[in-house]
Amino acid sequence: MFFQQVINGLTLGCVYAIIALGYTMVYGILGLINFAHGEIYMLGAYLSIIFLGLFTVAGITSYSIVLSIFLSLLLAVIFCSAFGYTMEKTAYKPLRGSSRLSPLISAIGVSIFLQNFVMKTQGATDKVFPYKFHFASIDFLGVSLTSLQMLIICSSFLLMAGLYLFTKFSKTGRAMRATSQDALMASLVGINVDRVISVTFIIGAGLAAVAGMMIASYYGVINYYIGYIAGIKAFTAAVLGGIGSIPGAMIGGLALGLVESLGSAYISAEYKDAYAFGILIIILMIKPSGLLGRSSDQKV
Amino acid sequence: MLLRINNLQVSYGSVKALKDISLEVHLGEIITLIGSNGAGKSTALMALSGILKPDSGEILFDGRNIAGLDPHAIVNMGISQVPEGRRIFPGLSVHENLLMGGFSTSTASLKKRLQDVYDLFPVFKERRSQLGGTLSGGEQQMLAIGRALMSSPRLLLLDEPSLGLSPVMAQKIFRVIKEINKEGVTVLLVEQNAMAALSLCERAYVLDSGAVKLSGRGRDLINDDQVKKAYLGK
Repeated sequence: MFFQQVINGLTLGCVYAIIALGYTMVYGILGLINFAHGEIYMLGAYLSIIFLGLFTVAGITSYSIVLSIFLSLLLAVIFCSAFGYTMEKTAYKPLRGSSRLSPLISAIGVSIFLQNFVMKTQGATDKVFPYKFHFASIDFLGVSLTSLQMLIICSSFLLMAGLYLFTKFSKTGRAMRATSQDALMASLVGINVDRVISVTFIIGAGLAAVAGMMIASYYGVINYYIGYIAGIKAFTAAVLGGIGSIPGAMIGGLALGLVESLGSAYISAEYKDAYAFGILIIILMIKPSGLLGRSSDQKV
Repeated sequence: MLLRINNLQVSYGSVKALKDISLEVHLGEIITLIGSNGAGKSTALMALSGILKPDSGEILFDGRNIAGLDPHAIVNMGISQVPEGRRIFPGLSVHENLLMGGFSTSTASLKKRLQDVYDLFPVFKERRSQLGGTLSGGEQQMLAIGRALMSSPRLLLLDEPSLGLSPVMAQKIFRVIKEINKEGVTVLLVEQNAMAALSLCERAYVLDSGAVKLSGRGRDLINDDQVKKAYLGK
C-alpha cells in the first residue's frame, strides 16, 4: 500500500514538477507569476486529444499508434510554445516597466480568456483521451507500476535532466541564468534580453504541453478547468522548492505529489487538494524563500 | 576620433538628467568625467550603452550614430561597460562571469580572450569555479573589468571603479586601467576620486547639473581653482 502510493505520488509529482518549471523560469527572469501557465497545460491536454483524433481520421493511428501519439505530442508542444511566445509579446511585454501588478492582472486575463475560449469551442463537458496506454504493468509484492506510469516518470526525469544540463552548460542556458540574476547587466554584456525572455516562455509552454498530454493519458478525461487547479498546485510546488530555482521546482513538484498521494491514502482522500494548499501556507509562514530559494543578500 | 557626443539630452520621465552634453574621445585616450552626485555622469554612460534612450542628440562611434540602438548591438560594435557597483552575476562562477562577458564573441576567439584576461588577472586562474557573489569587493571589481574586456572592446566605459575599495586596492585598479589603456583600449572613466582620475587621464570633462561645465587636460584641471574648490576639497 505504502509503495503503491509512493509510485502514484511520484507519477503525479512528475507532472507537477514539469508544470512548476514553467512558473519558476518565468518568475526567475521577469519576477512575474504567470497565472496563465496552468491554462497552457490545459491547452496542451486538449491539443493532444484533438491531434490524436485527426491522426486517427487520417489513418495514421491504425498504421502506427506510437507514431500517432508522438506526432500529437510534438504538434501540441509546437502550438503551446507558439502560444507562450505570442502571449508574452502581446500580453506581458507591452506592460514591462509598469507596476508589478499590471502584468499579473494581464496574466489572469489571459487565463480567463483561454479557459472560456476552450469551453466555447470544445464544450463544457469532459473530453476522453481516445487511447489507453496499458501495454503491461510490473507487479511486485502487490505493488503495480503500469507502463504509463513508467513512461511518465522516465520521460519527466529525462526532461528535467535535459533542462538542467541546458541551463547549466549551454550558452543560451547561461544567458538565462545571468538574466535572472541581473537583467540590466545581462544586456550590458551583450545578451539580447528580449530573446532570452522569449526562449523562457517557449520552453515553459512546451513543457506544460507535455504535462498536459501526460495527464490526459493518465486520467483519461480532461475538461476546460483542469488548468486552474493544476496551475495552482504547480505554483505551490515552485514556491515549495524556492521560486526562481529550477532544481527547486523539480524537488517541490515531486514532494507535493508524494504528500498528496500519501495524504489521500492515510488521512483522507476528501482533502486531496487541501494538502497542497496547507503546504503553501506553512511554507509561506516558515520559509518563504522555499527549500532551495536563493537568498537576496549580495556583496557590495 | 573614436567617439563624439553632440548635444545629448536624456531624461528620466519628466526630469532632465542630461541637458546638453557634447564631448569627444580620441583613439587611445583616457578621458575622465568628474562631477558631483546627480551631475549626470552615470546617465551619460547608460545612454552610451543604450540602456537609456536619448531624447535628442547624436552619439557618433567611429562616425556612426549609435544613439537609441539596443544595448547588445552597442556591445557588438565595441563599447563595453563596467557599471557602478560592478554587478557581478552572484550565482555564476568566475569563469561563467567571464564567459558571459564574451557572449557575442565567436567561439574561435573566445579561448584567446579568456587566456588574455586570465593573464591580466592571474588570481582568477585557480578560483575559476568560485561563485562571483563570494568574491571581495576588489576582486569583484577586477572580475567586472575582466568580464568587460571579454568582448574585445575598443572603448571601455568604467563607472566609479574605485568606489568602496581600500586605497591600496583602488591604486591597483587604477594601475590596471592604465595597463589596459596601454594595450590600445580607449577608456572613458567616471570617478568620484577626482584627484586620482585627473592624474590618470589625458583630458577631463567636468559635469554639473547635466551639462559640461569645464573641460581640459587632466593636469591643468588639477590646478584649476574652481575644480580644486568643488571636487578636490582644497
